[in-house]
Amino acid sequence: MDFLARALLIGLTDHAPLVLAAIGFALLYRLTGLINVAYAETITLGAYFGMWANTSFGLNFYTVLIPAAVMAGLVSVATYLFVFRPARRRYVGVLELIIISFGLSIFLRHGLQFVFGYPERFFNVPPPETIFVAGGGVTSFRLVALLSVAALSLALYWIIQRTRLGLQIRALASDEDLARVSGIRPLAVTVLIWFIAGVAGGLAGAFYGVGASVSPLLGWRQFLAIFLVVLVGGAWGIGGVIAVGVATGIALAAMALQFDQALYGQLVLIVAFIAILKWRGRRLTEQAKV
Amino acid sequence: MLDWLDAFLITGLFEVVMIAGLGLLLHLQLGLARIANFGVVGFWGVGMYTFGVLYVKVDWPFGDPWQFLACAAAATLVAGLAGALVGWLISDLDIDGVLVVTLGFATAVQIVATTEADWTGGAFGLGGLGFPYDIGTVKENEFVWLMITGLLVAAILFYVWRVHRSPYGRLLIATGGNEPLARSLGKPTFRTKLWLFVVTSAAMGLLGAMEAVMVRYLDVGHIGISITLAAIVGLVLGGTARVWGAVVGTVLTVGLFDIVIRTYLPLPREWYSQALPVMREVLFGLALILVLLFRPLGLLGDMRRDQLMRKLHGR
Amino acid sequence: MVADVVAPAPAARPQIRIEGAVKSFGGHVVVDVDELVLGDRPIEGLIGPNGAGKTTLMRMIMHSIPLDRGSVTLRPVDGPEVALSKLPADQMARHGVVKSNQVITDFDKLTILDSLLLASTEHRYEQPYRVFSEELVFERYGSEIARYLDYFGFTDARALALSAGEKKLLDIIRCLLVKPSFLMLDEPTAGLPGELTEKVMATIREIAAAGTAVVIVEHDLNVIWSLCDEVHFMAEGKVVLHGDPQSIREHRTVVEKYLGEGHV
Repeated sequence: MDFLARALLIGLTDHAPLVLAAIGFALLYRLTGLINVAYAETITLGAYFGMWANTSFGLNFYTVLIPAAVMAGLVSVATYLFVFRPARRRYVGVLELIIISFGLSIFLRHGLQFVFGYPERFFNVPPPETIFVAGGGVTSFRLVALLSVAALSLALYWIIQRTRLGLQIRALASDEDLARVSGIRPLAVTVLIWFIAGVAGGLAGAFYGVGASVSPLLGWRQFLAIFLVVLVGGAWGIGGVIAVGVATGIALAAMALQFDQALYGQLVLIVAFIAILKWRGRRLTEQAKV
Repeated sequence: MLDWLDAFLITGLFEVVMIAGLGLLLHLQLGLARIANFGVVGFWGVGMYTFGVLYVKVDWPFGDPWQFLACAAAATLVAGLAGALVGWLISDLDIDGVLVVTLGFATAVQIVATTEADWTGGAFGLGGLGFPYDIGTVKENEFVWLMITGLLVAAILFYVWRVHRSPYGRLLIATGGNEPLARSLGKPTFRTKLWLFVVTSAAMGLLGAMEAVMVRYLDVGHIGISITLAAIVGLVLGGTARVWGAVVGTVLTVGLFDIVIRTYLPLPREWYSQALPVMREVLFGLALILVLLFRPLGLLGDMRRDQLMRKLHGR
Repeated sequence: MVADVVAPAPAARPQIRIEGAVKSFGGHVVVDVDELVLGDRPIEGLIGPNGAGKTTLMRMIMHSIPLDRGSVTLRPVDGPEVALSKLPADQMARHGVVKSNQVITDFDKLTILDSLLLASTEHRYEQPYRVFSEELVFERYGSEIARYLDYFGFTDARALALSAGEKKLLDIIRCLLVKPSFLMLDEPTAGLPGELTEKVMATIREIAAAGTAVVIVEHDLNVIWSLCDEVHFMAEGKVVLHGDPQSIREHRTVVEKYLGEGHV
């Protein structure tokens, strides 16, 4: 089987959760203007909640996705209500908001170890079947991950771009006062945004977790890639995030096949994306407000 | 000699001094120029590993202390160059860009330290480091090193204190407060930020080299996000805008936790391996949130340029 | 009435030439200036109804708003022409082009004295290694700053600027301390009490006489009529009329579109 097909297959299946997580992060970033570093822990907690529901109640992996998603969504809403909303009301600056989210990220990442224990945890699921697609083997979980991520991504895209709710969300993001006058309830819609973002992150975490192990650093390890995808792809809206996310997954898989060390792929990714940001930043430089 | 001094106390004090030094340098970036550097550990790590690799892997024609000085100078230089690169990258980016570039830089440093195991020892580690002198017991050597590093950090503190009282500090504050306005007055703010990063990163690299000598064994786990966290928490708690903020804050966070709680509280033994380090991060994260919500300028409060100006150019 | 303008000493002044400059926001053309040369006369005014694009045009010159099309060139007194539209913002001041702001802008952590020292200080004193140069800088620029502060009646320069009026004056003094050769002032007297308006006007006359080209956007037409040697009238993004104040204030279009009967 040739290199390109393998890279495509692995990239799409292995890195499918990246796209989902990126959509959730982009929702928060684009619609509430907040860079939420603690989003990494929404992902991690999704994996932990899934693992917990799976190992405690013996639910199978597909059923587990529901509590994992809902609980991660609720955590996400809770962080908004108890941290970011009070911060906004106190007119905390943009820079300070980022530091707060960084503190929250650290707090959750380590705090969850007091709940779920220090050692790595694993999903208790039967070994997945290997399915042969296009001449290459892929586990059933990964295939399910790919399919559900694709479905969820399209659903989110559709909700935001095509429905009344999406219209309200976008209206709120562009002008809160105007939205309020037009009868949109900002609190309800904002809570909903945080919930959807949390659901996306939690599902991504569950998919990451079942593919390998569940550990406190699970989300943080993905955060930089997610952030880069959103910053670079976000310029073209949610569609751009999906496209850049998919491309990134495939590129990572291709580089993992090419290099003897998987970490080199990440290095190339960081360098390439920062170069893009820099190149784009230079053109916007002087649009200052004097 | 030094029987009165607990070995843990030396390590704890060294940690406080080290983080206070990083916090002071971060203060110039975050407190004055309002650049949120989330990659502090990256510059520190570059210095640490440059020093370690040069010290261990190169066959030097001269011994200590010259070997140390040469390697430390190289570490400072390389970290300064890294600062030039990152400073150039972020000079015209907004807050989001700064966050991703500095985080990306720290991650890249960690990746390189892991993958280039032939040089750095990777996850296994790099040994063979030592003090550039030998005056007796390990404890005495460590104590002297603590003093030397303390002097270095005191010098950094003095520099920061002077920056507040110089046209350079004024330019940094102006750049952080209203960059477009500063630019319209002819201030080359991009170049200013670049040089700020060169200078502060070089100093972070030197601190990294000092750390390498103290720990004598480098591994990748050492250059994780918790260093950046400690520097940020210390600075934010003390007061980002104040000269003494990082010092006060670090004493109250790292000092309180790593010296008072770890060393002197009667805690169950089994806590030390896992519960305490985790609890430290939980508390630091919580402190960051609470301080920024309820007292965003930290314990010492806002910078008081009016008082300073009266003192300097009093009427 | 204003008498015939006495021809000023033929001091050479820099000029700014704007060619084919277009800016639109969301499909709506805000500025569309075919050709405009500023700096022919010592003090020029830019007037027009609200939304005529005066402030936008000034900000396009400083390119804090990027041009959609066109070019802005500076023709200095000596030396080659400079394409301002391609220059980074911090280089403008070094070519002598400076603008005060319509909206109040300030450095909120800096005191009045800080802010003025910042504007005066040459960049070579602001290097990271020059942490002992404060006294030198104060000695060098302190007296000039003190002169302005006394003249405009600041009582405590070591405090932070609090009132909008103080910040407005501060913005103008900062521009003057940069020693501009081409100074743009966007509503310099808006919100200032009468006596300060007089002082600002006197200062403008003074620096114009010393060879600086001044361009003023102002709603207070008394300021325009008494200061300007030439007035450009803008409407709907275009410069529709040029002329000396006398001819502009009597022009029919201007009267109809802008001044209204009561003003004449």
